[in-house]
Amino acid sequence: MTADAAPPPVEEVAGRTTGAAVRGPRARTAAAYLRYGAAKLAGAAVSLFAVLVTGFFLFRLIPGDPVKTMTGGRPVSAEQLAQYRREFGLDLPLWEQFADYCRKALTGDLGTSYQFRAPVIDKITEALPNTLLLTGTAFVLYTVLGIVLGTRAAWRHGRLGDRIHTGLALTLYSVPSFWLGLLLIVVLAVGVGPVPGLFPTGGMESGGEEGLAHVLDVAHHLVLPVVTLVAVEYGQTLLVTRSALLDEMGSDYLTTARAKGLRDDLVRRRHAVPNALLPTVTLVFINLGRTVAGVILVETVFSWPGLGGLFYQALSVPDLPLVQGLFLLFASAVIIMNTLADLVYPLLDPRVGR
Amino acid sequence: MTTGVTPPADARGADARGADVQGADARGADAQGADARGADARGADARGADAQNAAAQDASAQDAAAHAGPRRPAWQRRRRAAARFWRQYRTHRAGLAGLAALVLCALLALTAPLAVGSDVAGVTDAPGQPLAPPSGRFWLGTDRYGRDLLGLVVWGSRVSLLVGLLAAVLSVAIGAAVGITAGHFRGAYATVMMRVTDWFLVMPTLVLAVALTAVLPRSLGTVILAIGVTTWPTTARLVRAQTLAVEARPYIERARALGGGHAHVMTRHVLPNVMPLVLAQTTLMVSSSILTEATLAFLGLGDPTVVSWGGLLQDAREAGAVSAGDWWYLVPPGLAIAGVALAFTLCGRAVETVLNPRLGVAR
Amino acid sequence: MSRADQHGRTARLAAAGVAALALTAGLATPLNPAPQRAAAADGKKTLTVAVAQSVDSLSPFLATRLVSTSINRLMYEYLTDYDPGDAHPVPGLATRWSPSADKLTWTYTIRSDATWSDGRKVTAEDAAWTFTKMMTDEKAATANGSFVANFREVTAPSPTRLVIRLKKPQATMTALDVPIVPKHVWEKVGDFSKFNNDKSFPVVGDGPFVLTAYKPDSYVRLKANQRFWRGAPKFDELVFRYYKDQDAAVAALRKGEVSFVAGSPSLTPAQAASLKGAKHIRVNDAPGRRFYALAVNPGARAKDGQKFGDGDPSLLDVRVRHALFLAVDRKTIIDKVFQGHAVEGQGYIPPRFSTYFWKPSPDQKLAYDPAKAARLLDEAGYRKNAEGRRVGKDGKPLTYRVLCHATDPNDKAVGQYLKEWWGKLGIGVNLDCLDNVTDPWLAGRYDLAFDGWSVNPDPDFVLSIHTCAALPDTPKDTAATDNFICDKAYDRLYARQLAEYDPAKRADIVQRMESRLYDLGYMNVMAYPNAVEAYRTDQIASIETMPKDAGNIYGQDGYWSWWSAVPADSDPSSGGPGSAGVIAGIAGGVVVLTAVGAFLALRRRATADDRE
Repeated sequence: MTADAAPPPVEEVAGRTTGAAVRGPRARTAAAYLRYGAAKLAGAAVSLFAVLVTGFFLFRLIPGDPVKTMTGGRPVSAEQLAQYRREFGLDLPLWEQFADYCRKALTGDLGTSYQFRAPVIDKITEALPNTLLLTGTAFVLYTVLGIVLGTRAAWRHGRLGDRIHTGLALTLYSVPSFWLGLLLIVVLAVGVGPVPGLFPTGGMESGGEEGLAHVLDVAHHLVLPVVTLVAVEYGQTLLVTRSALLDEMGSDYLTTARAKGLRDDLVRRRHAVPNALLPTVTLVFINLGRTVAGVILVETVFSWPGLGGLFYQALSVPDLPLVQGLFLLFASAVIIMNTLADLVYPLLDPRVGR
Repeated sequence: MTTGVTPPADARGADARGADVQGADARGADAQGADARGADARGADARGADAQNAAAQDASAQDAAAHAGPRRPAWQRRRRAAARFWRQYRTHRAGLAGLAALVLCALLALTAPLAVGSDVAGVTDAPGQPLAPPSGRFWLGTDRYGRDLLGLVVWGSRVSLLVGLLAAVLSVAIGAAVGITAGHFRGAYATVMMRVTDWFLVMPTLVLAVALTAVLPRSLGTVILAIGVTTWPTTARLVRAQTLAVEARPYIERARALGGGHAHVMTRHVLPNVMPLVLAQTTLMVSSSILTEATLAFLGLGDPTVVSWGGLLQDAREAGAVSAGDWWYLVPPGLAIAGVALAFTLCGRAVETVLNPRLGVAR
Repeated sequence: MSRADQHGRTARLAAAGVAALALTAGLATPLNPAPQRAAAADGKKTLTVAVAQSVDSLSPFLATRLVSTSINRLMYEYLTDYDPGDAHPVPGLATRWSPSADKLTWTYTIRSDATWSDGRKVTAEDAAWTFTKMMTDEKAATANGSFVANFREVTAPSPTRLVIRLKKPQATMTALDVPIVPKHVWEKVGDFSKFNNDKSFPVVGDGPFVLTAYKPDSYVRLKANQRFWRGAPKFDELVFRYYKDQDAAVAALRKGEVSFVAGSPSLTPAQAASLKGAKHIRVNDAPGRRFYALAVNPGARAKDGQKFGDGDPSLLDVRVRHALFLAVDRKTIIDKVFQGHAVEGQGYIPPRFSTYFWKPSPDQKLAYDPAKAARLLDEAGYRKNAEGRRVGKDGKPLTYRVLCHATDPNDKAVGQYLKEWWGKLGIGVNLDCLDNVTDPWLAGRYDLAFDGWSVNPDPDFVLSIHTCAALPDTPKDTAATDNFICDKAYDRLYARQLAEYDPAKRADIVQRMESRLYDLGYMNVMAYPNAVEAYRTDQIASIETMPKDAGNIYGQDGYWSWWSAVPADSDPSSGGPGSAGVIAGIAGGVVVLTAVGAFLALRRRATADDRE
């Protein structure tokens, strides 16, 4: 994302006053886009490699010898320790370990978890769907909520409704998510006074149900964590949508559209919103990657069996292969989403390629 | 400008490159997300670049005026600028409210040694019974050791504010240093620095901070460091864009021609121009630093012998306040965190709007 | 589309969303508790236990965490069990056992009425195979290898006769806590270090329960083994549900989502206090099997004589160690930190094991006495400087690093007190709380550390970890030693008790070892924390504790609790909270819907006003 290499589409995005000049032939735009896309992809590849390197070296700094941790408190002979080290490949020189790790990572083999003695990839595929269910649901809800409310707030800029929405969004955005989660558990799961607890206190399922009952059961467990995530996350989408739309509303073409006698509502939906959504789209992609990584807290508070909890457990051993694998996953999620945003952004801009 | 776009011939042309860059960067700022509280105001949109452009232009015009006109003492100019800033800031009600809350908090934190004293954190002669509900003697009840919670929340403000401020300053200082140098020295250095910045930008902040606190010994310094070194990239990108814009102005060219070295240009010309941005950025960053500090303390990664709001919440959870329904243990520290974070965000947005009037979002 | 239409659509959407929420809240509430309730619709009686640890492995050859070994214990029978009353060995798979005259050969008679859950008979061959596997395959020795370290050979001359030959006499031959697995299933396993026993269900076993399902970090499900030789358990199903957060587990108990909460390792005083008043909940506050101690670094060293680590040299002076402990007010720790849910510490082994319990004589006892502590420090030459700080031999003020477990709230709390008590003595404290203390611990990079062990009915293990033999061979190795204590007098006593087959004489030697340990001052037991746990009386009518009176339920030396648990006959609350939940859910839904409707109506008016 180095700006020096910023290709035409982005410049077009930025240089609005030069709008007339950019409507070049289609083919040229396509070629420029391809070049732009290639640059972005190359950048992403470099970032991914950097993550691979960091994942390996950063966690090796964590104090703790995994073999000693695992065997602590039990009499272990020197040969047995050496055997463990051989088994985990810890007896090799660091650079060889690194080369081995890179080679395996490229083929999708992330090693074997020390503490669970299962392939890291298995542990991740066990937990990933749970995390995706939680973050995916929350993501859809807070994006829709943020865009809808942000549009409304901008449209009635400065009025009471706007103030309330903006104020609420800012306030919820300042609330620590774990604290909100705890309060929700106290009020809605445990129950306060005469209010009975309506939702489960934690976990993802009761276990044992089949079919529809199971779906309902999971949905029931999903409510509180999703509400927590939505509450702390929707504010950002709302604010970005709102300010983008405010910015858009000052533009000449909207005044023209209104002057032509188009209905307010139509102007908003046909003209202002699609344009203003662009920055939101960027944010949406980036949020998706980030939410996956940021879910540690909510998963901890609600005992959700996902990646966040797994990461935390892995860190305390330290279960190096598992930590590395998860770190790789979290960081690549963000990188991939960022790159997607970069690639999609110019395509969505209505001023490009028309 | 590379291809495709005819450089506009108007006055804006001079800043166009900077603006383009900023456009891309502002998006990067959004990209940051986690810590980019108020990203909406800052980079609201890629196209907010014009707005920034306009602001930069204003500043440029003022600078030009200052240079061209009779030399006035710098302090007088600064005082006038400050007065103008304050006049505009005053019109933002939310910003004023945030500022008032902050002043109140700061007073509370500074007078805490007199008002409550460090004894409030002592466990051996804690005055009350453990986990007593609010009463006439203890307005907010007591904690698990029988200490006065009101006193602890007041006392905890010192650590939370201190860590928040220091971490934000550290983060913004790194960001500004990287941004200015990367903007000033182009070429390989800039490419490498921006690659590093990008790399930090995609790191999940919390994950990295957790890893760092696991690597280093547990102390306040570690927490400050962990927050500082993981949150600076947003600032670096913004500052770099601003630096590029500033350096594209003719008077920098003149300063260079007159023999101004790198250090001279960066400290005398670029730094004063990016200062407002840095100030706004710091204000916003404090808010997220306070939240991150609370988060790390809550995950048990803080210093357990130091009283902080996040630490109090962690204590409350460990003691079992959630299932026991001891709300007085749980609610005040969280409200304090949210309140201070909100106050800093409001201030930051107001500052940003003043410096960047076209956005007008915080009103 | 007109704006009215659009608003109508938004309203409908919002209504649909709210309705969906209300439905999951209202509808699922009655559905949800049903399967966990003692009396479910299909008549199945399920006991749900909240656990905080995640399962490391379900293979008895790999599992080391308490939750996993507890589940293994339910799946596989051991040779011998411990009596729930006084923990003396009682028949398990073995009905009789006897040592040879030279104490080197033990012969066990294996019962003939035990069957695996797939119908095959349990034979001595299964036991011999299990032990031999652990002796010959290092990968199978991960969890329980120490039990067979002294074995020369294990054979099964007949289906009911098991013979174990030892290298040297061993008093713990009726305390072999090794799950015996079915040979016909496990001999097909290739790599024991990778087989977690969690892929094909039900898992063949011979314990009171059979493992039927497992979802990592969610639940472990077991069903009653109807063929269990001691008789089938009364509950049809046993579910271990995972709660990362202990408080969430307690909340789940309050609501009836789970039947039992043990806490890890124990419920907090606040949780116990709040549960005591709750309806249908019984708090079981039993003397624990753990001790909670302050270990001192005696200068870490290896068997080859090499010293390592960086323990403070002043701690090698017994007067300093005693002074530190004299300044620890154990009563305050019991009253304030444990809030009465613990017993003041005395000897090494908790009073619950009355045979081995020992307490210091009055003149031997290091009772709380800060003045005496200050005197001892003065005597030892650690005097206060101008600032009131005690100065070490190197001229620097004394500051001790105290290693604490970040995951244990008690460590942090007691640490706060130590900081203030020792601060008054003029000694600084640096509380070093880590998620994983193993590394500085094994490297000897600490001065003092919070320490604690669960004691087994047979105390051999907790005694062995303070012998010189437990030291690592070289500084690079790991060994069983707890905190590097190596004392010749203690070692002589240890060797004598291990070879002593007479219980009374052995108990006497063990008590003398505890006395020696107390005087050394390297292990200062501050408290014996109670096992505080709670269960729902409307789901569990009765459950056996161990020991029978005032014993604990979770983490027993045996399967007694879950095997003996009797379901509550009628579920007095069934329909109660459930229907209340429905009503509340529907009421909440209606309220929210009304609010949304009103909100939207107001908005429409407002929007109409906005029109230019």
